Amino acid sequence: MRDRFGLGWRAKLALGILSNLDRIDIVEVIADDYFRAPHRERRALRTLGAQTPVTLHGVSLGMASSVLVETKRLDEMARLCDEVSPVSWSEHLAFVRGGGIEIGHLAAPPRSAATVDGAIANLRRARKIVGVAPQVENVATLIDPPGSDRDEATWVSEIILHSDSDLLLDLHNLHANSINFNFDPVDYITRIPPERIGAIHLAGGKWIGRPDARRLLDDHLHDVPDPVYQLLEKVGACATRPLTVILERDGNFPPIEWLLEQLDRARRAVARGRTRRSAVAA
Amino acid sequence: MNDSRLETFLAGIYVDPGARAKFLANPRGEATRAGLTAQQVEDVIKIDRDGLQLLADSLERKRHGRK
Repeated sequence: MRDRFGLGWRAKLALGILSNLDRIDIVEVIADDYFRAPHRERRALRTLGAQTPVTLHGVSLGMASSVLVETKRLDEMARLCDEVSPVSWSEHLAFVRGGGIEIGHLAAPPRSAATVDGAIANLRRARKIVGVAPQVENVATLIDPPGSDRDEATWVSEIILHSDSDLLLDLHNLHANSINFNFDPVDYITRIPPERIGAIHLAGGKWIGRPDARRLLDDHLHDVPDPVYQLLEKVGACATRPLTVILERDGNFPPIEWLLEQLDRARRAVARGRTRRSAVAA
Repeated sequence: MNDSRLETFLAGIYVDPGARAKFLANPRGEATRAGLTAQQVEDVIKIDRDGLQLLADSLERKRHGRK
């Protein structure tokens, strides 16, 4: 079993990433940045893909909606996948628009039968049009979505069990939601079918809001906190397949060496989990 | 159909300060006017107001920045 560890591709990290490909197994690229990019930028992406494995990450399809994703949006993803030949692609279990209103970012939908059914239908269409099913990512939210009638672990499990999509488990999103809405993140992990966890996101965040009503915001601008590494070790102990672990950093960039050290720490956490799993199996 | 109405309603109060202010001033009336089911109306009027404002602020910042 070979787990892979990599970084999110950002322009300001490009030199650092390209200079350290011996320590980076895979690069995650935001697909939406390239849907309408000039030819030279798409060529550069193909060149990157020739040097290192690439996974494409979408942010604007809005898979977890009772409304069907427009075909033209899936066609854009299909064309990019054809050009780049990524090892995988992924999207969020979020809704990003409604009734012509563009939210402009990822919003957690009501956790209901309607959004389970909608997500399953969207994921099936995505697989048909793109040719490969996307991995789907749990999202962070600052509000418990109104209209929800089930908890997040149940909702996510229903979607992955009734689709061909594996879970891209964002552990900082899980950490933040577990704090903001007072649930046990380890219990969440144990309720996800372990054979369906295919990838991991790591990131950091910060506290926002009044002291008596504060929330942990997933902002991708801070280091990965200790509890997220502990959750990563837990996933390493239960996941049955090789994991792709991506460290996401969108700004407030530290030196590349600092990010690589966080990646090394992630490798050690997964290794400890794998060792525990082997010991239990022996 | 009503589920898409709920998503549309939520999108509106998440990103439109005017829609949000109207909703907070008259939650039941605005939710009913949006065509939500009786259960959906009961769900949205119990919305966490602190969380709603934090979410709206966060979305506003992200729309002017990036992911």
